[in-house]
Amino acid sequence: MRSDLRVWLQTTTGIVAVLLLVQFLTGVLLAFYYVPSVDHAYTTVSYIEKVVSSGSWIRSLHHYGSQWLTVFVFVHVIRLFWNRAYTANRIQWIVTILLIGLVMAAGGTGYSLPWDARAFFSTRVAEGLMAGLPIAGSMARLWLLGGSEISPVTLSRFFALHVLVIPALIGVIVLWRLFRSRIAEFLGPREAVVGALVFLVLALWALKHPAPLGPSVADAGADYLPRPGAQFLWLYQSLKYIPGGLGSIVGVVLPGIVLAVLIALPWLKRQRLIAGSLFGLGVVLVAMMTTVSYLSDRRDPKTAQQFARQAAAEEAWRREPFKPTTITLAATTSSTPATGGAPVMYTKFCANCHGPHGEGAQQGRLRFPPLLDVSAKPRRSVDDIVGLLKDPTAYGLQPPMRSFSDKLTEEQMREIAEWIVKLKR
Amino acid sequence: MNIDRSRRRFLQLLPLAAIFASIGGAAFRFLRPKLSAATDAWLDVAPVAELTGPQPISRKIVAEQMSGWATTTEEHNVFVLPAKNNKVVSAICPHEGCEVAWEQNTNRFSCPCHESYFAADGSRISGPARRGLDPLPARVQDGKLQVQYISNQQATRA
Repeated sequence: MRSDLRVWLQTTTGIVAVLLLVQFLTGVLLAFYYVPSVDHAYTTVSYIEKVVSSGSWIRSLHHYGSQWLTVFVFVHVIRLFWNRAYTANRIQWIVTILLIGLVMAAGGTGYSLPWDARAFFSTRVAEGLMAGLPIAGSMARLWLLGGSEISPVTLSRFFALHVLVIPALIGVIVLWRLFRSRIAEFLGPREAVVGALVFLVLALWALKHPAPLGPSVADAGADYLPRPGAQFLWLYQSLKYIPGGLGSIVGVVLPGIVLAVLIALPWLKRQRLIAGSLFGLGVVLVAMMTTVSYLSDRRDPKTAQQFARQAAAEEAWRREPFKPTTITLAATTSSTPATGGAPVMYTKFCANCHGPHGEGAQQGRLRFPPLLDVSAKPRRSVDDIVGLLKDPTAYGLQPPMRSFSDKLTEEQMREIAEWIVKLKR
Repeated sequence: MNIDRSRRRFLQLLPLAAIFASIGGAAFRFLRPKLSAATDAWLDVAPVAELTGPQPISRKIVAEQMSGWATTTEEHNVFVLPAKNNKVVSAICPHEGCEVAWEQNTNRFSCPCHESYFAADGSRISGPARRGLDPLPARVQDGKLQVQYISNQQATRA
């Protein structure tokens, strides 16, 4: 009986292989619709969720698959440790440790891609963790963000890491393993049964639970509570107890040291003691912090209420029909600008909210008034509109309408105003 | 013995078969193209009073199309032919879809890609195009000339 259990525990290779295959396949599919740009990422992910057939299932497989993969890669490493694989097959041991790092990195970068409120906060935390690193912190932060602030460049970096760099590295490891080992190790009869079972449960889980998608960054209220993916809950909870920049030590430096020690394990003495205590401490810490995080979110009535509100809002959002973005494509041969078209500066600064033809827009709770027939209203002459562009509050307007004194010259404002007063329904 | 082995081999392919069958089936639905309905909106070209003279007049119309996750508004060049009772032709060459330009000195439309030429009334003169420039459905409403936009592919098929 005992040896029977041992044999079944050997199937972790097959499970990891199955989950990696699922991540690759669903990831490729998602890339057919996803656009890594801050103004389209959220729209395209919403489109996958709401419009594309099976889109919600594919995305959910990818989302929860990444969390399951993290768990099973860890189980796999502990199983290898149990079998003393670090002495029998050093390279296999090392690449598997590297695989942990890559899978975690894939989970971290992937979380930013939908560019919803959670993604935004997760990117902020990644930024903070980098910035808090000793010595190279500010440099690491700049390299991660691609600039001094989170910007469209940042999303492109996370995208490139998530879909090109990390999968390529994982692919090298997988190919190496495939060539090194007998195919039966991945696809023995027991691996087949366990792998099929894991996939079946994941597929059913994903069918029942769509992957979460928070509100878009623009729509998120100040009371929005973000949470990371399940594989990072331990880190999230730990950061609550650690003052300031020390968080980077726990979140980046310590895991890095642990992985480095594990990689060096084949050449160390007292291997059982070192790795055994690292795994023991790690499992205890992760299990404890994850549990505390779950419990504290459910116990605190205010937090629980806010999560209930967020869940209800997401549920309501799922029932709303999909809202497409508007993209303006120029004609291929436009030698002369269209007469009567919007001034260039209007298109640049105003059209995003008030629409390319001044038709107005609605984004979540924000309503951007149409500008058509605006000249019929009191205090909306050309001079008034120029004044309003300088100081909107003086004309009784509220944010997000803001002053454009720092962006537009007097003439540009006048050009915009003269165009706006001609707009008719 | 033999049956047992083949049964075992079948069993071994079970997870791969399950993954490829279910994700593959979903992938077909997932990737299936979404056809956008042809728009039949009437688009403003210009006030009729502005359309005079013997020359074709180049105008831009802004057509809106729902494609995937975006509504695209795209400018298209059209030519109004005042000499032909304000007939409107698309600027898209019926050969391979480049945009033709009006050449005033030679009094003809020319396509920059493969040297198709069209007369001032839109009819074909020479070149690889097999027909003249495509006329667009037009009407006059409240003193304004309006057209319905027909994309190149739809026009070429017609």
